[in-house]
Amino acid sequence: MALKQISSNKCFEGFQKVYEHDSVELKCKMKFGIYLPPKAETGKCPVLYWLSGLTCTEQNFITKAGYHQAAAEHGLIVVAPDTSPRGCNIKGEDDSWDFGTGAGFYVNATEEPWKTHYRMYSYVIDELPKLINANFPADPEKISIFGHSMGGHGALICALKNPGKYKSVSAFSPICNPVLCPWGKKAFSGYLGTDQSKWEAYDATHLVKSYPDSHLDILIDQGKDDQFLKDGQLLPDNFIAACAERKIPVVFRLQEGYDHNYYFIATFINDHIKHHAKYLNA
Amino acid sequence: MEERTRRAPLYSQDPAPTPTAGQGFNFYHMDLYDSEDRLKIFPEEKIRMRGEIAKEPKRGERAPELGLATYDKRDLGREEKDWQYLGEEADEEDDRFPAWGSRGQYQELREAYRYARGRSSEEYECYVIPEEEDEEEAADIFCVTCKIPIRAFDNLFGEHKGHEVTQLNTAAENAREEIHKNMFKLEEQIIQMENFASHLEEVFITIEENFGRQEQNFELHYNEILETLAQKYEEKMQALGEKKREKIEALYGQLVSCGENLDTCKELMETIEEICHEEKVEFIKDAVTMADRLGEFLKTKTDVELSTHPDFEDQTIDFSDIEQLMDSINAIPAPHAPVINTQTPNSATGTSVKVCWSLFSDDTVESYQLSYKPVSDGAQSEERKEFSVNVKESHYSVANLVPNTQYEFWVTASNSTGVSPLSERAVYVTAPSPPIIKSKEILSCEHAALVRWESGNMNPVDSYTIELSKVDDEEPRNVVTESIVGIPTCESLIHLQPGESYLVYVRAINVGGPSERSEPATIRTTGTYFHLNKDTSHPLLSISEDGFTIVRGKGESSTRETRDSDTRFSRCVAVMGSLIPIKGWHYWEVEVVEQMDYKVGVASEDINRQGDLGADSSSWCMSHTFISSRHKYEFLHNGVTPEIQITVPPKKIGILLDYDSHRLSFFNVDIAQHLYTFSSPLQHFVQPCFSLEKPGLLRVCNGISMPKFATVF
Repeated sequence: MALKQISSNKCFEGFQKVYEHDSVELKCKMKFGIYLPPKAETGKCPVLYWLSGLTCTEQNFITKAGYHQAAAEHGLIVVAPDTSPRGCNIKGEDDSWDFGTGAGFYVNATEEPWKTHYRMYSYVIDELPKLINANFPADPEKISIFGHSMGGHGALICALKNPGKYKSVSAFSPICNPVLCPWGKKAFSGYLGTDQSKWEAYDATHLVKSYPDSHLDILIDQGKDDQFLKDGQLLPDNFIAACAERKIPVVFRLQEGYDHNYYFIATFINDHIKHHAKYLNA
Repeated sequence: MEERTRRAPLYSQDPAPTPTAGQGFNFYHMDLYDSEDRLKIFPEEKIRMRGEIAKEPKRGERAPELGLATYDKRDLGREEKDWQYLGEEADEEDDRFPAWGSRGQYQELREAYRYARGRSSEEYECYVIPEEEDEEEAADIFCVTCKIPIRAFDNLFGEHKGHEVTQLNTAAENAREEIHKNMFKLEEQIIQMENFASHLEEVFITIEENFGRQEQNFELHYNEILETLAQKYEEKMQALGEKKREKIEALYGQLVSCGENLDTCKELMETIEEICHEEKVEFIKDAVTMADRLGEFLKTKTDVELSTHPDFEDQTIDFSDIEQLMDSINAIPAPHAPVINTQTPNSATGTSVKVCWSLFSDDTVESYQLSYKPVSDGAQSEERKEFSVNVKESHYSVANLVPNTQYEFWVTASNSTGVSPLSERAVYVTAPSPPIIKSKEILSCEHAALVRWESGNMNPVDSYTIELSKVDDEEPRNVVTESIVGIPTCESLIHLQPGESYLVYVRAINVGGPSERSEPATIRTTGTYFHLNKDTSHPLLSISEDGFTIVRGKGESSTRETRDSDTRFSRCVAVMGSLIPIKGWHYWEVEVVEQMDYKVGVASEDINRQGDLGADSSSWCMSHTFISSRHKYEFLHNGVTPEIQITVPPKKIGILLDYDSHRLSFFNVDIAQHLYTFSSPLQHFVQPCFSLEKPGLLRVCNGISMPKFATVF
């Protein structure tokens, strides 16, 4: 698993780097961004995984979110993978922005022609952490995950499907109940087939209902002027209701006037870094 | 004396001292009897006297020296004066102070000095000036036996044959060393003599003073006696004159009457003779008349006794009063009024003061009477009781006094002769009573504590002192680790170290000294301690005995106006806490019941008491309402809240007030969940606030160190 450094830039006394590697899980070249805080030069640091939303690459987050200062301050390594396999020459992979390339939905596809490459769930929870732990001064015991939109959905399901693996989870405008929203229905039927019972395994709202352990602190920020919220793509209320019922701690903040883009993320990114630092540095 | 006179000039390092007596006799260090000093020490009179003597040098052989004392030769003259002065003094005092030596002794002294001077200079030459003989033939070695430098040749053949010899250099070196050693000794001697001289100087002064006093005393008494005698003489003389005149007058009277009688007799005789020459008839006629007249005259007794004695009747003169006066000259005088000292700081206790006074050095005192009474502040007309004690020493500790009270003290001294006048009055004050710490009002945080206390004294005290001792489990001794002094008021903000336990004591201080320690209070610098300010509490709220449980009963909010609406919340059913006025951070927790409506947060001291918490810019709060089995959480400030949903209702809310980062954060303590953070610049101090919008209760938890989960925010 050789890593190829694509770029390296000094940032807040640490380094923002981009690497490329050959993914076994996805059977293609994958890029990821990694921020190494200054603390990483002297010791192992916790790792916070960021999952981006639809259409994004590893670049969006590292260039727009402005998380570096907080990450440097709290001594967190932040890893931002791409959102899907790329260049796999699957027919129709680039046909739409909400399916295929840039829209892996953090699931392991079971349907042809996607099932060979589109295994983003395994890539995120398994291959990527191993790669990071092996090549960087990362503390394998301390990892957390967060994301935006489709990445928010990814973060929630990764955390909920693997109790105890992640110390904390948070999300910006997550797709909370994909089985009930147009994006989710399209993606899940494409990747997972028409059997809707299989979809529930990748649906945060459904996963909460069987989550065994309440020691997961979830922070969700949602812009109130988010068009996708109004369009019923995100459905946070369903998730909150499920959590309230199951006594899973969630703080859900509906932020007045904000929409779905990275300006919104940049506004509240520090709160999220703190949220994770609280657990990762405990 | 001889030794000293001989050494002094050596020290003066005068390479070629003129061997005059005057120059030589500078055996007192010059500074000592410098003319100015002398003027101070001795009365001017004596100097004048000396001047006169200088003008007429009739004191034999001293005259030439005195002549030198003219002031044109400064140095010499000055030294001369010194010597001359001493000589003069000695001459003057010869009879009275033989110890000072007669003139004859001085003579000897000087002779001795001359001799010594001569000898020492001989020795000096002997060691140091071999070069003088260079011209003839240089002496090259030193004969130890004869102590002179000689030529080596002489050692072999001359008169020094067989004598012990050393190299000339070595000999010179040795000689020098010895001289140096002697010089050190000399220096010591000089210092000694200087000290001795200054001691003498003091003795001079003392003698002068003592004798002066005695002279005055004698003068006073003898004058009194003389006056009394003169008076008695006058009286006696006058009495004597009276008596004399009286006697003489009486005698004169007698003489006059005697003469009158005589005249009458003569007249009678003549008449009788005339009658005898008359005719018989005539004779008979006249004889009868005459016989009657004669008979009558003879009946009158002629007094020939002296009416008064010419002698002076011996009268005893009463000298008893004079005797008494005479006696009193030698008897000790009654003492002067003692001088009472002002109070020595820190010498008093709460119930006692130590009073000190002093007597005049020449007074003889057998005992003192110390009297005192409390200083009345004028307003009270009642006469304060006066107390007295007899004391042998010139100090006394007066006990059983009232704390922090001024007492007036005065003292008299007495001896067999009498009692002195009263001393001045001095006011002493007893130390205060210990203050009483208001333990329940102590506010603290990790870095400081605000301690309040009651003075414990009716009258004001000067200041207070706080004493702190860290409570160490391993070492239970309460060692005072820190004191804060000079606290003017009954409260103090003290800086402490976090995570410790302290015992704090307070003392009150006045001029007399510190009071005893107060009872201790315990301060723990873990987390923040505040208490609820009942004065702000809405009438519907009650606060438990321990001061930390806030209860709202079922009673409905009455519409009646609350009178003291300035401090009490009248609309919002709230109570405010009192937080220590220290910035940094404060953390506290509130236990709530899930279905209850409450608001918890902070507010400025001047929050509108008719307003709601979070309704304006002076308060920040987390509000919970439970409507149709749904929890609604709001984080209110300026009447607005972010929209926040919380899935797990907190049972215990942690509140972190951080002035440094201008944040107020709320946590669900049980699951370490961060709920919300206000990021507002907290310019002023704010106080914790609690309100119950429906019946229920809140419990405030203090003294909790900041949980780890909160440190990030």
